[in-house]
Amino acid sequence: MSEHDAVIDTQLAAIDEALRSGAATAPDEAERELQALALALAADAPEADPAFATELGERVRSGFPRPPRLAWLPRPGIPQLAGLGVAASILAAVVVAASLIPAGDDEESAGGGGGAAEVAAPPSGSTQDDGAIARSIAPGQPPRAPDGFAPGRRERAIERTASLTLAAPGNRLDRVADGIATVTERFGGFVLRSSLGTGDEGTSGGSYELRIPEARLQPALRDLAELGEVRSRSQTGEDVTSEVVSAADRLQAARAQRRGLLRRLESADTDTEVEALRAQLDVNAREISGLRSTLRGLRVRTNYATVAVQLEADGDDSSFGGGSDEEGLSGALDDALGTLSGSLELTVRALGAAIPLGLLAALGWAAARTARRRRRAAALT
Amino acid sequence: MPRVGGDISTETFESLYERTFPRVYAYVSSLLRDRSAAEDVTAQAFERAYRKRRAYRPGRGSPEQWVFGIARNAALDELRRRKRQVDLHAEPEDTGAPTAEDHAELSLRREVLRAAMAGLDGQERDLVGLKFMGGLSNAEIARVLATSESNVGTRLHRTITKLREACHERA
Repeated sequence: MSEHDAVIDTQLAAIDEALRSGAATAPDEAERELQALALALAADAPEADPAFATELGERVRSGFPRPPRLAWLPRPGIPQLAGLGVAASILAAVVVAASLIPAGDDEESAGGGGGAAEVAAPPSGSTQDDGAIARSIAPGQPPRAPDGFAPGRRERAIERTASLTLAAPGNRLDRVADGIATVTERFGGFVLRSSLGTGDEGTSGGSYELRIPEARLQPALRDLAELGEVRSRSQTGEDVTSEVVSAADRLQAARAQRRGLLRRLESADTDTEVEALRAQLDVNAREISGLRSTLRGLRVRTNYATVAVQLEADGDDSSFGGGSDEEGLSGALDDALGTLSGSLELTVRALGAAIPLGLLAALGWAAARTARRRRRAAALT
Repeated sequence: MPRVGGDISTETFESLYERTFPRVYAYVSSLLRDRSAAEDVTAQAFERAYRKRRAYRPGRGSPEQWVFGIARNAALDELRRRKRQVDLHAEPEDTGAPTAEDHAELSLRREVLRAAMAGLDGQERDLVGLKFMGGLSNAEIARVLATSESNVGTRLHRTITKLREACHERA
């Protein structure tokens, strides 16, 4: 400590002593002068109006009552606000994590790398927005077709098909077969055709042709893939917008022609003319019926994806537990491990999103606090 | 007395209020230099402290220092809210009513002192307010200002030396 610092400390101590004792009694003249100054400053402190002091004292004793009108309103405290913040962060993290899960990663999550999975990319023009029309349809109900398509418009008519080859141990094929029907029904689809082969030990394999609403195709494929080991998978999309537009235009023209024929029939003068017009009307009616059928078929094809599922028996039953006695426990363990794995994956993804969000929030809070402190300090400069 | 554990009960808050009210008012008044605003801010500060009394943590300082921190923030917010430059360099308001016992020499010394105070900048006045109006120790002031005790001591010594010299010049 330097001599200067020692002098400062001595003089500060003398000031504190004077404030405690209320008298300037230091032997050193400079210290005594500082003591007198400190006492003068303390004596010059502003005093509150007694009426104000009394009023505030009463408010303190009554616990600062709130206005009755607002008394019932709950005031969230810091713990509640913190809880809300944490809940919001977790929700945001889960949403972000869910959005990070790619739609076509079923090979890794369900198949365990068991086969050469093949995913055919949809042709150009087949984007996620292609199914916007079909997505508005409630599951299990025939989708309402749009009024019409035009080339270049965003709403494209895409006919989607998918195929999936699943393998499962022979003693589990029945369960997988039931699962296929259950998943199809759950996503608002239906089984168009199915065939199951049977052998000495029960079901030996099978094939299914499913119709699933286009808007729910991806989640349905994900769930189907979880029923067994995925050996192959493919998806295709064919743009049939031009066919739809063409059929719609021709239907419109046929209806216009029908209206013209009816007007001419009303004003026909001779039987010959009437018969000729009726014959044309019959031809026109068949044309309209055919075009409506075509459009209906196109709508079904575009609103419902065709999914072909091939079910095969896996020769290596040991991978699923082998013996029938152990199959239940083994299968349950397998399912439990799969569920646990999925939960862990989601948790890791959620943490991956939550930790940066939390850090950002903490940084933001610290920056806001610092800025507020500086703003306040600026009021003194 | 405040309970160990962070909570200040209503009864304890009353005693805290009784102990600190005159000093808090004096400090706030010396900062705002407006009697009416000082009353509003003092009341606001105590109400804020009462509402937040469960958030008080003994580890962060004494209850007095905690109340002064709240009062200081409220006063600085008021200065900013009014959006006008409060002249901290102006001569202090004479808040004490003159009494018959006021000696002429005492009045003269008080005027000299107030004139010297007018030469201080805002931060120096803040420091003087906390020390001599608020009666806080250097350690408590350091907590309120979020700085070190030695820094407070140095700045306080410099400020009071500056005041003494100003008084000499004006005497």
